[in-house]
Amino acid sequence: MTETTQPILTLDVEGVSVRFGGLLALSDVSFSVAANEIVGLIGPNGAGKTTAFNVVCGFLAPSSGSVRFPALNAENLGPSQLAKAGIARTLQGVGLFDHLTVVENVMAGAQSRPGGGFLAGLFGLPVSSRRERALLGEAMTELDRLGISSFAKALPGGIPYGIAKKVAVARALMGRPRLLMLDEPASGLDESELSEFAQLITQLRETMSVLLVEHNMDFVMPLVDRLVVLDFGQVIASGTPDEIGTNEAVLAAYLGVDQ
Amino acid sequence: MKKLATLRSSMPTSARLLFTLLLTIVALGITFSLTALDDSKLAGGAAIAIVIVGLSWLIGWSGQVSLGNSGFMAIGAYATAIWANHHATTPVVFTLLLATICGAAGGLVLALPSTRLRGPYLAGMTLAFSFAITPLALNFPSVTGGSGGLFLNFLSAPKWFANLFSGSQALIRANAQWSADVAIVVAAVAFFFMANLFHSRTGRAMRLIRDNDVAAELTGVNLQRTRTLAFVISAAYAGLGGSLLTLLTGSVSPQTYSLPLSILLLTLMVLGGIGTLSGAVLGGLIYSYSDNLVSLINKVTGISSASTFGANLKGIVFGVLLILTMLLAPRGLVGMGGRLLSLVKRRSAES
Repeated sequence: MTETTQPILTLDVEGVSVRFGGLLALSDVSFSVAANEIVGLIGPNGAGKTTAFNVVCGFLAPSSGSVRFPALNAENLGPSQLAKAGIARTLQGVGLFDHLTVVENVMAGAQSRPGGGFLAGLFGLPVSSRRERALLGEAMTELDRLGISSFAKALPGGIPYGIAKKVAVARALMGRPRLLMLDEPASGLDESELSEFAQLITQLRETMSVLLVEHNMDFVMPLVDRLVVLDFGQVIASGTPDEIGTNEAVLAAYLGVDQ
Repeated sequence: MKKLATLRSSMPTSARLLFTLLLTIVALGITFSLTALDDSKLAGGAAIAIVIVGLSWLIGWSGQVSLGNSGFMAIGAYATAIWANHHATTPVVFTLLLATICGAAGGLVLALPSTRLRGPYLAGMTLAFSFAITPLALNFPSVTGGSGGLFLNFLSAPKWFANLFSGSQALIRANAQWSADVAIVVAAVAFFFMANLFHSRTGRAMRLIRDNDVAAELTGVNLQRTRTLAFVISAAYAGLGGSLLTLLTGSVSPQTYSLPLSILLLTLMVLGGIGTLSGAVLGGLIYSYSDNLVSLINKVTGISSASTFGANLKGIVFGVLLILTMLLAPRGLVGMGGRLLSLVKRRSAES
């Protein structure tokens, strides 16, 4: 996509409410992510961050409001349509496939790409095996880029947590996303892994937008362009990290929960 | 730890084809040296192996447990018998294909409700289907022949093949070997296609939905469609196996394809090794020679096969074998073989 004077939004969430029975989990939530922007979704526990993520991913249908992807010409996608539209999401925890090797896990990220249909596979047509070989090469390159190719043949159960998180990211990147959604990327990582991860995300913005949910403020603050703060299912503030850092409503929400 | 993992990419199709051809030729060669009895046992084993590999695909790859595959076998078997009774001169290939398609269609119909269910509920649904088949066959005697079943001409050797044999019982030997050879070729084709699927994108989609359905969906796999596809293919293989079995025996009866057969298929699959081609072959071979094992036990222990206990001996033996496999070698004989092999390798590397 070429740069335009009026940037087209990658993600546009408008007036989304989600009701679980009598509980209003999200109330009139609006936020957006522009091209090549890194946006953080923060808030105290139970504020509705994951719910907002799940609405964007189509796991939950909003009671009202809309989720659109203007840059991708798509809206209200179901979970299995995301990848094809150019949206990748990592899961809380890591959500790897336990009985597939690391490199197979990464190859799985390209499952949505066209080519190599059922009949081609059944008859073992050259197009099918050629595609598999190409995918294998690509997955190895991706692992190499993240410096974890030595784990390629290991099973997810036998690798350190920090590595598994990288594998999950490598898998997400195999779909060549335009919007990468990271669900708590920092959880469970140590200091050096955190700074490595921050560096990686900064690199990724060259080719995609990033939306992340995170608890770790030290990780989020220097990384993102914009923050959206949720509390009790409502957006209580949004702006640059500097603006948010001095916002009284935000401080009250956090201090109120901490005590 | 720093060394770059070298990866063996999967065998190209041409190599897989060559490998299949080679194995088939060896197997065909072996049938020449077997007695008529062994040849017919082998033919039955090949038919069952086809069903097992289809079940293995469903359970081992897509993670859906089915107790209904005996029902899909029945669909293939009846389709074969009914067709053969109306069109006596149809080429075998066509009959087999027709039965495969009928099995697949049955799979599709059952998949529509079943693939919305998981785990024990799915097993329950397919169990109900398994139970329904026999009464269904009994209730439409004008089509299915009722409790007596249907009869058709079994596979017999063509003239050129029969001419290879001479001496006493030449025709019996020719027919037995011909049926074994046909069954082996059909099984080889079925296994070749399954091997292709294992290494295709479709095969990976199955493993994704088995391991983590949420993550699978996020990589773009349509859960409903993938689960349904797994069911349809499994049912097609069961239909093919049932059809082959019917052509081999020249008859079909409703009692054959009831729940015990489904359980037997599951047991054979676990014994051989879930989700593997070689495990399915082993399962088929075990099926072929299970009667020999039972009569051996009869002879050693002196249990008469006429007694109630003796009559149920086969089920008991399989039950014990199943429990032992689950305890000692959960990945079946194939997994056990692999473990032994790596043990030997390590030993020789150490010395």
